[in-house]
Amino acid sequence: MKEVTLSPAELEAIRDWNEDSRRLAREVLGKYPDRRSAVMPLLYISMIENGYVTAAGMKSVGVLTGLTGAQVQSVASFYTMYKREALGDYLVSVCTSISCFLQGADDVLTAVEDESGVPDGETGEDGKFSVEHIECNGACAGAPVVLVNYEMIEGVTPDKARELVNWLRDGGPDVISTDEMQRLFGGQRSFDWGVEEPEGAFLPVPAFGPYGSAKEAE
Amino acid sequence: MADLVTITVDGVEMQGPAGEVLIKVAEDNGNYIPRFCWHSRMNPVGMCRMCLVEVEGPRGKMLVPSCTTRINDGMVVDTQSAVVKKAQEGVLEFLLINHPLDCPVCDKGGECPLQDHTVAYGPGESRFVEEKRHFQKPIPISDLVFLDRERCILCARCTRFSEEISGDPLIEFKGRGNQVQVLTFPDEPFNSYFSGNTVQICPVGALTARPYRFKARPWDLEAVESVSMVDSVGSKVSVQSSQNRVVRIDGVDSDATNHGWLSDKDRFVFEAIHSEDRLQRPLIKEGDEFREADWGEALDLVAEKLTGYPGDQVAGLGGANSTNEEAFIFGKFLRTIVVTPHIDAQLDDGLDPQFLVGLTPRAAINDLESAKTILLWAADLKEEYPVLYLRVRRAATELGATLIIVHPRRTGLDDVARHKVRYRPGTGPDVLRELVAGEGEYADIKAALTEGPVVTIVGRTGLGEDPRLAEAVAAFGRDFPDGKVLPLARRGNVIGALDMGLAPTLLPGRVSETAAHEKLEAEWGPLPEGLGRDATSILEGLCDGELKALLLLGTDPVRDHPEPMLATAGMEAADFVVAFDTFLTDSSRLADVVFPVEGFAEVEGTVTNVEGRVQKVNRLIPGPGQTRPVWSALDDLARRMGGDVGATSAEAISKEIATVAPAYHGVSWDELDWGEGREGLLLPLEEGEQRLEYIPVDGNLTSVKARFGLHLARVMYDDGVRVRKSPSLAALIPDAAAYLSAAEVETLGIEPGALVTVAGESGSITLPAVVDNTLGEGTVYVTANLSKTAELGAAVSVTVTPGGEA
Amino acid sequence: MSTDGQVKILTARMEANRTDSHTIERYEATGGYTALRKGLLELGPEKVGAEVKASNIRGRGGANFPAGVKWGFLAAARPAYLVVNGDESEPGTFKDRQLLERDPHQLVEGVILTSFAVGVNHAFIYIRGEYPKPARRLQHAVDDAYQKGYIGKDILGSGFDLEITVHLGAGAYICGEESALLNSLEGRRGEPRLKPPFPAIEGLYAKPTIVNNVETISNVPWIINNGGLAYAGIGPEKSAGTRMLSLSGHVNNPGNYEIVMGMSWRDLIFDIGGGMAEGRELKAWIPGGSSAPWFVPAEHLDTPVTIDDVAQHGSMLGSGAVIVMDDSTDVIAAAHRIVRFYAHESCGQCTPCREGTTWLERIFNRILSGRGRPSDIDLLLDVSDGISPGLGWPPVMTTICPLGPSATAPVVSLMKYFRAEVEARIAREVAHG
Repeated sequence: MKEVTLSPAELEAIRDWNEDSRRLAREVLGKYPDRRSAVMPLLYISMIENGYVTAAGMKSVGVLTGLTGAQVQSVASFYTMYKREALGDYLVSVCTSISCFLQGADDVLTAVEDESGVPDGETGEDGKFSVEHIECNGACAGAPVVLVNYEMIEGVTPDKARELVNWLRDGGPDVISTDEMQRLFGGQRSFDWGVEEPEGAFLPVPAFGPYGSAKEAE
Repeated sequence: MADLVTITVDGVEMQGPAGEVLIKVAEDNGNYIPRFCWHSRMNPVGMCRMCLVEVEGPRGKMLVPSCTTRINDGMVVDTQSAVVKKAQEGVLEFLLINHPLDCPVCDKGGECPLQDHTVAYGPGESRFVEEKRHFQKPIPISDLVFLDRERCILCARCTRFSEEISGDPLIEFKGRGNQVQVLTFPDEPFNSYFSGNTVQICPVGALTARPYRFKARPWDLEAVESVSMVDSVGSKVSVQSSQNRVVRIDGVDSDATNHGWLSDKDRFVFEAIHSEDRLQRPLIKEGDEFREADWGEALDLVAEKLTGYPGDQVAGLGGANSTNEEAFIFGKFLRTIVVTPHIDAQLDDGLDPQFLVGLTPRAAINDLESAKTILLWAADLKEEYPVLYLRVRRAATELGATLIIVHPRRTGLDDVARHKVRYRPGTGPDVLRELVAGEGEYADIKAALTEGPVVTIVGRTGLGEDPRLAEAVAAFGRDFPDGKVLPLARRGNVIGALDMGLAPTLLPGRVSETAAHEKLEAEWGPLPEGLGRDATSILEGLCDGELKALLLLGTDPVRDHPEPMLATAGMEAADFVVAFDTFLTDSSRLADVVFPVEGFAEVEGTVTNVEGRVQKVNRLIPGPGQTRPVWSALDDLARRMGGDVGATSAEAISKEIATVAPAYHGVSWDELDWGEGREGLLLPLEEGEQRLEYIPVDGNLTSVKARFGLHLARVMYDDGVRVRKSPSLAALIPDAAAYLSAAEVETLGIEPGALVTVAGESGSITLPAVVDNTLGEGTVYVTANLSKTAELGAAVSVTVTPGGEA
Repeated sequence: MSTDGQVKILTARMEANRTDSHTIERYEATGGYTALRKGLLELGPEKVGAEVKASNIRGRGGANFPAGVKWGFLAAARPAYLVVNGDESEPGTFKDRQLLERDPHQLVEGVILTSFAVGVNHAFIYIRGEYPKPARRLQHAVDDAYQKGYIGKDILGSGFDLEITVHLGAGAYICGEESALLNSLEGRRGEPRLKPPFPAIEGLYAKPTIVNNVETISNVPWIINNGGLAYAGIGPEKSAGTRMLSLSGHVNNPGNYEIVMGMSWRDLIFDIGGGMAEGRELKAWIPGGSSAPWFVPAEHLDTPVTIDDVAQHGSMLGSGAVIVMDDSTDVIAAAHRIVRFYAHESCGQCTPCREGTTWLERIFNRILSGRGRPSDIDLLLDVSDGISPGLGWPPVMTTICPLGPSATAPVVSLMKYFRAEVEARIAREVAHG
């Protein structure tokens, strides 16, 4: 689709964004018949810029989409994945919905909290980990499921969860690869993953390349 | 008009328009279904679920929300079944599980739908034993409104109003599920001109207004219906008092005008009524100071002085902030007791008086409901006619009208306008010529204007604009298919005052002076010969000594005349000035005698809005101190001058108006209070003789183009006395600035915020420069009537130079 | 019993090609985009639509509505839109994830054919935010398809133009509800809309819109290649074709299974699913995602796995997610876990769901933490009744959308089949308390 030209006021609103983000913003605005639809991908881009959704980020998104700050905040606060507080380097999410619950996910969550020292829903003071429980992530045959920066590991036991936390803490990789983590800490999978995935995430923002932070795994 | 269909509700047959929502049809026919989120003037959302009823369908009874169910012929509805009642109890129990037990300290108690519905439809007890949801309470979300999120039942009336009706969505839902709250964005408070409406429509005490908080209980209040006199739109209000103090003004739904909405100025300006600075005793100037005096002494003094001048050396200004009855007596006093033709209710800041009252075909506000195209070439409605702004906004967003705006600057309606034309102030005539020609970039606009019905709204975009331009646009507008024109002028009863003859070219009843002179003389006795001076000419006459004395009725030329220096000079040069006022304004301060008069909510009478609709204003409280009604003061004064204006009561005056003023034949207070006139009467009721029909002409004006054109325009909260004396609103008066585009700021070689001097023919002022990129090249925008902008004058050609002293 | 030998439509390519079933090279090499050619260049839009209608395929999301019939509702005004619902969030469901990760081109080709059939020139594929890997795979597939001229202007010289936008959600289960999805796609809160109007009349941007599930559309290429009647001939008439079931919980062989419907639950759970672990008995299972009422061995083990049979027995096949609970399950905690999910995911618009689901969760919290009261059982049922009067099936709603009643399904099932356990739990706590 086409790249959109921005007005001076719109350019001013994203002046502080890096070049990739600005280009992505223009691309994203051209993907929809109505600009307002671009709110969601733009919020992700602003998360890449600031690490989380900030008031300034929401304001910029508002200028690009013709919405007031209150309207952007209304959308951003509706969705679980738009984090409005600073996150740690690694967002560790443990699914605790029914299928994972049946396979002992509560124990996996406890193990993660315990090993990382960070309670569910919080970020550690050293800025390394944010821990949360999440709802069904669509990997139920591979329960329990743990995500790191939204890259998924299936079939994680409490012991493996502790190993994962330590692996991340002691110099975790720059790019989180789902396959690498699955090899090291995973177990039963929902289905055959087939070939390895060359891309991964480096921020706690969903790596939805080319709009996200997907990078080639080293 | 939709076809009527028949439905059965609880066994009773009733009729309603096909496609209307069930809850409204039921209510209109006496069957009230409880609700929270539904509001008759907003789109239904079906969120609160309080209005669930059972409707018979092919597979049995279905539980549906009556606010989103549209009726069709033969629908059978049950609002009393066991299922419905259980659902109602359920919804109320659900709402109350998190609702705090605040009734004793909550403003809404006593007029609270949640209380009322709980008593009528709720379960007896709550079974909720968990912890309620908690928020910090309450928080100010603007200077005027507080929000208590614990009380909020998330009906979204406030957020829907802000998005749908007023177009400034500064409050919105935040979060999801059980944690949803209404909130503003950080550092972006709920600074809407219409925020007070959300307080009124909030079904609980979640939104409260600072001016009313904790002031009274609803059962203590006395109320009358009236009409807001803040502007000439004529919005219907309910004025409420406790112990003879007005404590609140609410909007009343009038289909003809405001649909129940008010601007915050309409709503909160009541604070001025009880200001400490209200004039309470007559004042007589001695030297440079006023001393208090008795009515008798002051009236005698004025009678004596006025009798000493030949009639045509005396002039009268004002009446646009008074009722029709007051204005009528003022005019009669000036014409028959003083015997002067120099009368003007406008201050040369409006439009030609004959055009204003005689324009045909004149649009009614409800013509906006069926307009296909709207041409708006007038002031920024949001600032000066806010309720009309809401009506136009509704037409453009809900009713699919094509809105075309012509204005020197961004207006509040730009976001819903299909076409926007910006122009440098002074070049309006050229723009009109291009619009008429309809070529190039104007072709689309011209094409849109062929889709009727077309409503054209005209008025001065700014104080420096030639009023004949509005007339020329009206001439253009009336030729469109089903074309009607609505002319706008400032001040609550400007149309009424002109209808009462307070203009040199008019006599009472929408008749021209020349045409009606003889007939009126037969009623009133000798009238002054020849046409009188208008406001500017009156002030000039005072300056050069041709006029000696001036009477002011509720008007402030020093503030409001486009040339304030001229007004000041005129008043200072005058030999004798008498003012009838509610406050000491910058003008009445210069008078020799000031009479304290009763004002809004203290007087009973009628007012007439821009449509020419006459409505009743009502008295709720007595005026303070020794204030008297205007008509009573003038009656007394006339007697002391050896004459008689026959003003025995306001109602008696209204009867004389109905006799003497052709356009007002058949108008009676009875009719307005109790009869067909509850929403006013559009005048004239019948075709009368001599009635002025003014066909607007295009005067083929010339554009003025200097390096800078001055757009001198008003904002809602300006330095007018009523705003200044209402503490809640006074806090909102903005600072003065000179607005320029970024390019012009750069050309001037200054930084934004630096001082610039704007200089016109009459004077100059120095203000900080602020960037406004909605202004074109060569346009400078200055807000009129802020204390710093008075010395500029309204001439459209100005220079802008960097520097100067603030 | 296994699914060997049974026709495989959706999973054939990925089963046969481990490493590259998601690439355009493998897709084209295995017959991909032939249906597109056939549809665009031979059949024309009406015939493509007719084949899908003849297939009798029912939606593979939650509502199971016949797709061909749904397409017929599309209003005539243009522009119109196609929106693919990839917001797979129903607990227990993970079939669309496999389809997206392993064979995205199947979906892409289906989207192009569907758009062609109904007269849409801009299609949107909404993928939940928690699926970055499937979304990446899909975006690459879309990019490759654009490169090859399968998407864009004048596709294959047919004169048909199509744009496809892949849109990422951000974590809200309710966006799987089609009207909430449209609101989300428009840049609003993902709140369900009032219906009518239905999306086919007024949908995305108030224009006529078709919303279909990923799996549904993924079947379209096969239907065009083999004919609608061939699809209709597979399996029971009213549950024709193959469908993906996601099996999870206490079974030895959890996973996605592409099956022909009609087998019994016994066959599914014990043969295909491999039964429970050593020493465990089947206690209950959820037949169609966590919104569905529970089934128990005593009543339902030998009933057929078809859309209509499940409905007749008071539940739904819905998204095809089968969650198995053996006798080690604390069913009260399980019910609480599901209720907690709905309370968290409630959009908050309407009173009964917003307040009621959290109230249910809180009551369960008390029961599970030892502070339950005997009156809580009736309270749970009565609060549920306030959301879904009569607690029947299919549910009557006091709410705007079915999410509220979904929260009541586990409550009703728990009390219907395991009330004694709840009473015992409360009694035990009261005795100790």
